[in-house]
Amino acid sequence: MSLQATSLRSSTLFSVNGLAWRLLPALPFALVLIVWMLGWAALHPNKATLPPVSDVIEVVWARMRDGELPSQIAASLTRLCLGAGVGILTGVIGGFIAGLYRNVAEFLNPLVVFFNAISGIVWLPLMIGWLGIGTALAVFVIWNTVFFIVFQNTVLGVQLVPEVLEQGVRTLGGGRLETIRSVILPGALPYILTGVRSGLGFGWRALIAAELVGAPDGLGQMIFAAADYHRSDIIIAGCLIIGTIAIAMDRWLLIPIERRTIARWGLVLDTGRKS
Amino acid sequence: MSLASAPSVAAKSPGSASVLGGALQNLTGLRILLPFAVLVAVWWAIKAGGDFPDNLLVSPLQAWNAFVLLVSHGVIAEYASTSLTMLGIAAFVSLAVGVPIGFVVGVNRYAAHALEGFLRFLQGISGIAWLPLAIIWFGFSHTTTLVIVIYTLIVPILFNTMVGVRAIPESYALALRSLGASRLRLVVDVYLPGALPSIVVGLRLGMGYGWRALIAAEMLVRKGGLGDLIFGARTFGQIDRIMVGMIVIGCLYIVVDRLIIQPIENLTVARWGLLRK
Amino acid sequence: MTAADHPAAHGRPSRLLLGRDGRKIAIGVVLIVLVVFGPKFYGMATANGRLDSTLRGAVEPRNVIVVLDFMPERFHNERIAAYGTFAGRDGALNRYRLRGVSPGNLRQHAEIPWVARIEPMK
Repeated sequence: MSLQATSLRSSTLFSVNGLAWRLLPALPFALVLIVWMLGWAALHPNKATLPPVSDVIEVVWARMRDGELPSQIAASLTRLCLGAGVGILTGVIGGFIAGLYRNVAEFLNPLVVFFNAISGIVWLPLMIGWLGIGTALAVFVIWNTVFFIVFQNTVLGVQLVPEVLEQGVRTLGGGRLETIRSVILPGALPYILTGVRSGLGFGWRALIAAELVGAPDGLGQMIFAAADYHRSDIIIAGCLIIGTIAIAMDRWLLIPIERRTIARWGLVLDTGRKS
Repeated sequence: MSLASAPSVAAKSPGSASVLGGALQNLTGLRILLPFAVLVAVWWAIKAGGDFPDNLLVSPLQAWNAFVLLVSHGVIAEYASTSLTMLGIAAFVSLAVGVPIGFVVGVNRYAAHALEGFLRFLQGISGIAWLPLAIIWFGFSHTTTLVIVIYTLIVPILFNTMVGVRAIPESYALALRSLGASRLRLVVDVYLPGALPSIVVGLRLGMGYGWRALIAAEMLVRKGGLGDLIFGARTFGQIDRIMVGMIVIGCLYIVVDRLIIQPIENLTVARWGLLRK
Repeated sequence: MTAADHPAAHGRPSRLLLGRDGRKIAIGVVLIVLVVFGPKFYGMATANGRLDSTLRGAVEPRNVIVVLDFMPERFHNERIAAYGTFAGRDGALNRYRLRGVSPGNLRQHAEIPWVARIEPMK
C-alpha cells in the first residue's frame, strides 16, 4: 500500500481539512453522552450513584442562574491566580539568581528536587496548623506547587542561554542588567513559559485537592460537600467544569501567550537552540 | 531535570569558584548531603530561635525520635508499604491497559485525532476531582484509592503511547512489511521500540500526578498509606509525625522517580530515541 | 553530550544494564523491595522466637496473650484484633487477650515484627 494510495483512500472517506475531520474530536464526548443516556434509560440506576444527563444539565443551569456556580468558580480561580502569581514571580526571580550563579544552582539542586517531590497537598496537614483552613492554606499549596516547577525551568532556561550572546551585549557596552533584559530573559522565556504552563496544570489539580480536604468555598469544596448528601449530579457537574476550566486555561490563555512571546523573540531562540 | 545540567555553558561567575567548592564537587555524595545538612541546621535554628510551640513546628531531634518510634512500632513500614503497593499496582494496570489501547488508537489516524481532545479533557479533570464520586461508588476502601490512581496514571500513558506511535515514520513499518514481516513482528520491532521513549515519558508524568493523587486519596479514604499517616497525625496535633511522614513521602518519591523511572527513560531514549535526538 | 555520545548508543541492552543507569535502577528496586517486603521477611525469620514454646506446634485454636514492649495505639489494636476474638487486656495496656486463635492465624501473628511475645493464656 503506497502512501499515495493511502491519501487517495482517505480523501474519499473524509476530506482531511473538511468538516468531518474537525468534528471528529467531538465523537468520544458524544459517545459517552449517548451511552450514559441509553444506559440510564435502560438500567435506571439509583440517582445517587449515577444521575441522568438531564439532572446534571439542570443542576448546572440552575446554579449558573442563581449565581452560586459563578461564585464558586470565582473563589477557586482567585486562589489559583494569587498562588500562581506569587509562585511565578518568586520562581522566576529565584530561578534567575540561581541560574546566573552556577554554584548556587548546584547547591540548591538536591533541595529543590526534594521539595518538588513533596510540593502541594503534602504540606496540607502541617500548614493547617499555621494557616488554618481557608484561602490562605489553598494559596500556600498552589504557591508551593507552582514555585518549584517555575524555578527549575527558569534555572534551566537561564543556564542554556549561550554565553556568546551575553558577551556580545557586553562588548557593545551593555551592563549586567542590560544583558539580563535583552538577552537572558528572552532566551530563557520558552523554558519559563513551559514551567508556567506545567506549574498551572499541577497547581489547578493541587487546588482542587486542597479544597476537597478543607475550604469554605470553591469548586473542590462544592464537590466534596455534595458527596455528603449523595448528590452525584453536583459532583459530576463540578468535575466537568473543572476539566473545562483546565482546558480553557491551557488553550485560550497559555498557548496564545506562548505563541506571542516566542514569535516576538524567535530570532534569539533559533540561535539559542543551535548550541 | 537538574539545575546544573547545562553542559555547554561556562561558569557564569568564575570568581566564586573556590578551592573548597572545587574539591566538594568531586564528591557527589557530599554534594547531595551538604545542602540537606544545611537545611537541617536552618530548621533547627528556626525552631530554637523562633520559639515556635510544638503544635506548629518541632525540632529535627523531635522528628528523628518520632521516626525511630514509628519504625519500631511497625507503623511506617506498613503505611509506606501500602502506598508503594497501591502505586505499583496502579502503574502495572495502567501500563497493561493503557499501552495496548494507545497502540490500537495510535495506529489509526482518525481514532487518534478523535481521542486526543477527549484525553486532554480527562487529564484536566484530575483524579482527585473524581474522589467524592468514587467514594460514593466504592466506599472508603482501597478500591477507591486504586481506581483514582489508575485513572490518574492511565490518561497520560494512553495519550503518550498514542503520540509515540503516531510519531513513528510510516516508512519504517512499510520497509519491514515489504520484507514480509507479520503484524506481530511489526509491533515488536517497530512500534514498541519506537513508541517506548514516549510511553516512559508518559509514565513519568503520570507518576508525578499519580503520587500526589494517591496521597490526597489516602488523606480522605483513611485506610492506611502515608497520606493517612500525615492526615491522621494532624487530628492529634502530632507535628513530629507529620514532618516524618512528609520526609518519608519525599524520599520515597525521589527513589521511585530518580532511581527507577528516570534511568529507564534515559535507557529507552538512548537506545531507541536516536530517531528524534 | 548528545545521544550519539551516550555509552548506550552503540551498545546492546545487556551492556546498558551494567552502566550508570542500570546501577541506579538496581539500587532503586532494592530500596523499594526492602521497604515493602523487608519487615515482612524480618518478621518471618524471627517468628519462632516470638511464639511461646507451648504454642509452637499448635493444631487447634488456642487462647493467647499478645505482648508488645511498647504502649500501643489504635493502629495496633486494630491489627491484633483481626487475629482472634479480643477479650480485653491482661493487666496492662500492652497485653492483649485473644481467644480462639486458629493455628494459621497464630503463625501469621507471630510473623509481625512489632509483636514482642505471644504467650498462652492461663
